[in-house]
Amino acid sequence: MSPERITYHPGDSFLHRLHPLTKGAWLIFGTVAVFVVRNPWAVLAVVALLLAGFPLAGVRLGRVRGTRLFASTALLLGLLQVLFIREGAVLVEIGPLVITAGGVEAAFYVAGRFLSVVLLSYLFVLTTEPNDLAYGLMRAGLPYRYGFALITALRLVPIFEQEGQIVYNAQLARGVRYDVRSPRRFLTLARQFVLPLLVSALGKVDALAVSMEGRCFGKYPARTFLRQTQATWLDGVAMGLLVLGVVAVGYWSLEIGGS
Amino acid sequence: MIQIEGLSFCFRGSPQYALYDLNLRVEAGAFVVITGPSGCGKSTLALAIGGYLFRQFDGEATGNVSVAGMDVRNSPIYDVAEVVGLVQQNPEAQFCTLTVRDEVAFGLENRCLPRAEIRERMAWALSIAGAEHLSSRSLASLSGGEKQKVAIAAMMAAKPQVLIFDEPTSNLDPTATAEIFEVIEHIQAKAGITVLVIEHKVDYLRRFQPRLVEMEEGRIVRDGPMPPPGNKEEAPRSPQAVTSSPPLVRVENLHAGYNGHPVLSDLSLEIQPGEFVSVMGDNGSGKTTLLHCLLGLRPPEKGRVEMLGHDTRQTPVSELARQVGFVFQNPDHQIFADSVWAEATFAARNLGTLDKTTEGRVTDLLIRCGLGDRLDDHPYRLSYGQKRRLNLVSVLSYRPRLILLDELLIGQDSAHATFLLDLLWEHVLEGGTVLMVNHAPRITRRYASRLVFFNSGQIVVDAPTGSAIAQLRALGKDAYVA
Repeated sequence: MSPERITYHPGDSFLHRLHPLTKGAWLIFGTVAVFVVRNPWAVLAVVALLLAGFPLAGVRLGRVRGTRLFASTALLLGLLQVLFIREGAVLVEIGPLVITAGGVEAAFYVAGRFLSVVLLSYLFVLTTEPNDLAYGLMRAGLPYRYGFALITALRLVPIFEQEGQIVYNAQLARGVRYDVRSPRRFLTLARQFVLPLLVSALGKVDALAVSMEGRCFGKYPARTFLRQTQATWLDGVAMGLLVLGVVAVGYWSLEIGGS
Repeated sequence: MIQIEGLSFCFRGSPQYALYDLNLRVEAGAFVVITGPSGCGKSTLALAIGGYLFRQFDGEATGNVSVAGMDVRNSPIYDVAEVVGLVQQNPEAQFCTLTVRDEVAFGLENRCLPRAEIRERMAWALSIAGAEHLSSRSLASLSGGEKQKVAIAAMMAAKPQVLIFDEPTSNLDPTATAEIFEVIEHIQAKAGITVLVIEHKVDYLRRFQPRLVEMEEGRIVRDGPMPPPGNKEEAPRSPQAVTSSPPLVRVENLHAGYNGHPVLSDLSLEIQPGEFVSVMGDNGSGKTTLLHCLLGLRPPEKGRVEMLGHDTRQTPVSELARQVGFVFQNPDHQIFADSVWAEATFAARNLGTLDKTTEGRVTDLLIRCGLGDRLDDHPYRLSYGQKRRLNLVSVLSYRPRLILLDELLIGQDSAHATFLLDLLWEHVLEGGTVLMVNHAPRITRRYASRLVFFNSGQIVVDAPTGSAIAQLRALGKDAYVA
C-alpha cells in the first residue's frame, strides 16, 4: 500500500477538535521549548509524549509519507554527535572509536530536538484542516487578502500536482526519455515540463481573477464571515497548560542559566 | 436589459478583432443561446457584458455596452457584478474556497452582508441550483456536474439580473449536461432573470425554445428563434476490423485505481486491428484510467494488460509509445516545442522516426489543418481549435498503429469535430486503430464500429455501435443516445 500523504487526516480526536490557533500556539511553544530546555531527558520525554499523540489522534505514523526519512535522519544526526564530539568522560574506546558522555548527550539533544520539531509539525498538519486554519487566522486579525492567498494556494497545489503528472505522462507518450543525463538535456526537459504548467497556471489566474472580482472580492477593506470557528473548553484547558508550560520552561531556563 | 452598440475589441498583439462592430439587444427575462465556431468571440462577448474585458484584458475597444442602464465600460467592476453574474467553463478554475458553504457564501461575505442574510441567501441559491444536498461537502469531493451546480449557486447567491453561462457543460458527460441545462431552465423560469448561455450543444436547449444568436469571426451572423431540428444525421461509416489477426490490445481481469481508491474492477477487453472504438460513460466511470493502463502510464493493481503482444508492466512507456499514440484532454498539457513545426515533429524526433517521408506527411497534414503558414509560430499563439488540430497532427505524424484519444472533441464546434474525425478515419482506412473516449452520441453513431460503455469502473455494454445504442436505450441511458 502506498504511503499516506502529509496532509490533513479527518478525525474526531481531541487534537482534531482543538482550535487551529491553539494548536499553532502549541507548535510555536513546543519548538522553542525543546531548544530552551537544557536537559536531554526532558527532550526525550517530549519526543515520547509526541509519539503518544499519534495514536491518540488516530493516525498511524508509520504509514505517513516521510516517516522513515526523518527517523533515519535523526539517527544519522545522533550518530555524528556520538562519533565526533569528544567531551566529558570516555564511555567506550576501541581503537580510533571514542565515545564520550558529552557526545551521547549531544546526540540526545540534536536528534531529540530534530524529532520534536518534525513530530510537532506532523501532528499539527495531520490534525488541522488547512481551511480552518486560514479562516481562524483571518478571524484573529490576518488581513483577508492574505488569508485567501493561503486558501488559493491550498486549493491550487493539488491541482498543479495533478497537472504535473499529466504533463509528465504526455511527455512519455510522445517518446520523451527521462533517462538521459546531461545538464543540457536536463534543462531542455525542465523547460518542456514547466512551460505547459506555466501556461495552465496563467489561464487559471485569469479565470480566478474574473471569479473573485465578479464576487466583489476586495470591494471593502473588511468582510463578514459565515464561518464561526469557536474555541471550546478544550481550548481553554490547552491554553492553560500552555501558560503553565511557558512559566515552567522560563523558570527552568532562568534557574539553569543563573546557577 | 442588455444593449450593445458597435462593439469592437482587439486583444493586444492579435492580428484580428475578437469582436467587430457587434450589436445586440436583449430584453429583460429573455433566454438567449449564443453559439458559433470555436474562437468566434463568444467568450469575449461574455467578458464584455460582465465588464471584465475592459479591465483585466489588454486591448483596444470601441462601442458601447449597457446592462440594466449601466454603462459597463465606464462603471466599477463591483457595480457591474451586482447586476451580471458569469459562470465560467471550468468550475474548478473559478472556485475561491475549499468547501461548498464557503464557496456560496464567498461573494456575500465580500459584500459585508450580515450572517443571517448570508444563510438565507445561501439556502435559496443552493435550492434553486439543485445543490442543497451538497452543502456540507468539500469541493474536491464533488463530481464535475456537482461542481458546476455549486458554481451556479455561488453566482445566484448575489441575485444578479443577468446570468451568463460560458460553455457550462463542455467538460461534462451527457447525463450531467442534461441536468445542468435543467437547472439553467429552472433558474430562468423561477428567478425570472435574463439568461445567456454560450454553448455548442444547442440541441439540448431546443426544448426550452430560446432565442438563438449565432456568431462568426467576432460578429453576429444570425439572430432569431431556434430553428427546428434538421435531419443532419449522416450515414454511418463502417470500418472493418481485421478479426483474423491477433488482437492489438488484450485486457484481462484488470483492476486499477488511484491512492487506494479502486476505479476499474475486473475489466476485460480485446481490440482488433482496424477498429474505431468509441468509449463512453459518465465522468469518473474509469474511461481515462483505462487509456492510461493501455499505454502503461498506470500499472494494473491486478490482472494484465497486453499491448501489441507486450505486457505493459514489463515494457517502458517510451517503447510502447512507438506504436501507440495518445492525445490527452487539455491541449495545453501536451505542447512542448517552440514552433508549430517542431511540435508537429516532436514525437517522431524523440522516437527516431523523423525522415523525409515523415516530414512530407507532416507538412501535408499541417496544410490541411490550416497551419501551413504558421510553421514558425509558437504553438501557444494558436487558438484552442488550432492547438487541438496540432495535438492530433503530432500523433498522426509517426503513424502509430493504435491512437488513444481522451475527449478530443471538448470545446470543438461541429465543423472542427468533423474535420478531426475525418483525419482519424483516414488513419483507420490506412490500417490504423482508434480508441476514442467521447461524450458525443452523434459522432459515435457516424464513425465508430463499436461502442464500449462504462459504468462505475466496469464495462456494461460492448457491442457493434448500432446494437450498443439499442442496449443503452434499454438501460435508460437516453442522454447517450440522443
